[in-house]
Amino acid sequence: MSLTDLKSVPEPVVQTAELIGHLDEVFESGFGRLSSANLQTLASLAASFAGTPLAEPLDAAIAGLGRSEFVDRHFAAIAAARAAAHGAMHDALVAQASVALGRPRAELEALADTPGQAAPPRAAVLLESVRQWLMELAIAGFANLEVGALLPFQATLDAIMAEPALVRHAALLSGFLDELLTVFPAHGKPEVPRLRWADLWTRSMVLSLAPPTPAATREVKGELRVFATDLRQHDHVVSLVAFGALHEAGKPARVVRTQVSAFKVDVLQGDDLAGLLNEVGGKLLEAIAGGQGLKISGMLLHATGDLVWQEARAEVLPAKLKLAEEAAAVLTSPTALRPSARPEDRHPAVVEELVWLPGDGYAAVGKEARELSLGGQPFPLAFERWPSSDDLLAADLAGSKGLVALLRFDGGRWSLQPVMIDKGKPVPRMIGTGLQAVRGKAKGGNLATLKERAGKLLRKKS
Amino acid sequence: MLPRARKVQKVPFVELYAGRLQGVVSSGSDEERVYVSYFEAGTGNFYCSTNNNRPCGGLRGSPCKHLIELINEGVLQYGPARVVAYLGLQQAEPDKVKSGAELVRFIKGGPHKVEAGMVFSRFLTYLQYVSVAPTGVPLPDMAWFVR
Ligand SMILES: [Zn+2]
Repeated sequence: MSLTDLKSVPEPVVQTAELIGHLDEVFESGFGRLSSANLQTLASLAASFAGTPLAEPLDAAIAGLGRSEFVDRHFAAIAAARAAAHGAMHDALVAQASVALGRPRAELEALADTPGQAAPPRAAVLLESVRQWLMELAIAGFANLEVGALLPFQATLDAIMAEPALVRHAALLSGFLDELLTVFPAHGKPEVPRLRWADLWTRSMVLSLAPPTPAATREVKGELRVFATDLRQHDHVVSLVAFGALHEAGKPARVVRTQVSAFKVDVLQGDDLAGLLNEVGGKLLEAIAGGQGLKISGMLLHATGDLVWQEARAEVLPAKLKLAEEAAAVLTSPTALRPSARPEDRHPAVVEELVWLPGDGYAAVGKEARELSLGGQPFPLAFERWPSSDDLLAADLAGSKGLVALLRFDGGRWSLQPVMIDKGKPVPRMIGTGLQAVRGKAKGGNLATLKERAGKLLRKKS
Repeated sequence: MLPRARKVQKVPFVELYAGRLQGVVSSGSDEERVYVSYFEAGTGNFYCSTNNNRPCGGLRGSPCKHLIELINEGVLQYGPARVVAYLGLQQAEPDKVKSGAELVRFIKGGPHKVEAGMVFSRFLTYLQYVSVAPTGVPLPDMAWFVR
């Protein structure tokens, strides 16, 4: 295995990124006033999809937008094309990483369709409102947004939050709206994170094209051994992602990913996160803090290797595990199944290839932890992803005995994000190990105060 | 991450929104009563009333104690630089600001009534977030939100 082979980026990835970069200029200035350069960009986008199922709707969309026909199917076609271009980049990058790591790429598990509950009719109406709002953003252009055009969406978002079938939409859209409102109203010329907002716009549009349908899953029974974690959050959602080895009877161990998330407000952070996540994943936090396994029975596993976390179907096991050994074994096995992404979710930003680096394979460089030395060769660390938590510090790298990292592609280059560092102690260093201990401290804190207010006021309102 | 953690006991809600620093301040004396207060960006206008639209008795041409508490907590929550920029307080020097109260002298407007309901409904929206059930389903889009 040689991560250092990842110094160059495949040529098609570079070209696609360039095409998307030009498309995003249109998002910044707005589809409402297309310049001749914009029209040329849209034409080359269409040309790159010639002969694919997207060619026809895309041609129609570009012709229509050129005539100022602002209808949502045109914007849906643009979103689908942009997402497909990122999907192709994702696949090329995963293929490159798989060669460098000397292992087959992770595949979706073949699962029979499971009957499940369809989204209620109300969901379709709400998603239509989302598409309408997204269309207005794109017509105006990110650089020209006015706060008056952003605020009415809050009412739609409130209704989406109240609809459990749209939880994914709520998490994404609340984060997107937060960011827009942080910049607007702006004095002077606002600095627009073009690529990022076009990504969030595209994700939102693709997710809102049709009400969500139940995904195929299977019930699993066995033992989960969590060996790495990552924390993701914006002002209104916090999410703890846990990666672990799943041992099922009669099957080789595989890697799964599970995620517990809670809605929140900006003022809730630090210790309050423990209180928020405890409600949905208390046993997961307990197992992470103690370096213990979890007996699970009847939890649902998606084809992507995502385990739907259900507290009632988990039981913390008493034995302390050797998690570094566990991670090393399952991550270096060429045949162990690993998590992946659904085709419609594929994007360079969701590439997170789990790798195990043994202690003699790397060395820490400098205090700032901007890079690792891999056999004398520098390799970038995703330093902007270090969590602001004492559970996992850049200083833990020095003298460590091995680590688990997510191999990521961000800002046009590969980097490693350490998500577990083995210091030779029973419980490895990873984010979330400290959360269980502060669960009790949350009492009387901000979370308790706001919950109490909510209990009184929201009951009064309804 | 916020510049500094703040406690929500006295000021349960503060936000920079729709061109205002606005929020809800608990009454010192009455547990059940809250004041709704705001400073407007640009004009520097401000107001304080109960959530039933009764004007605050402390508001006599200059900001009352609730408004001072509001801006203090606003600066704790967002940091002086963001509050100064948002309110457009050109004369203020954010690096030297230790508490929000020091910013009051740069606010040039006067009392100007807005419906308390507008701000109060934002507070209810805010509280709605802590009332939504947490979830164990995969949320792949959270990959974009890293801090
Ligand atoms: Zn007052």
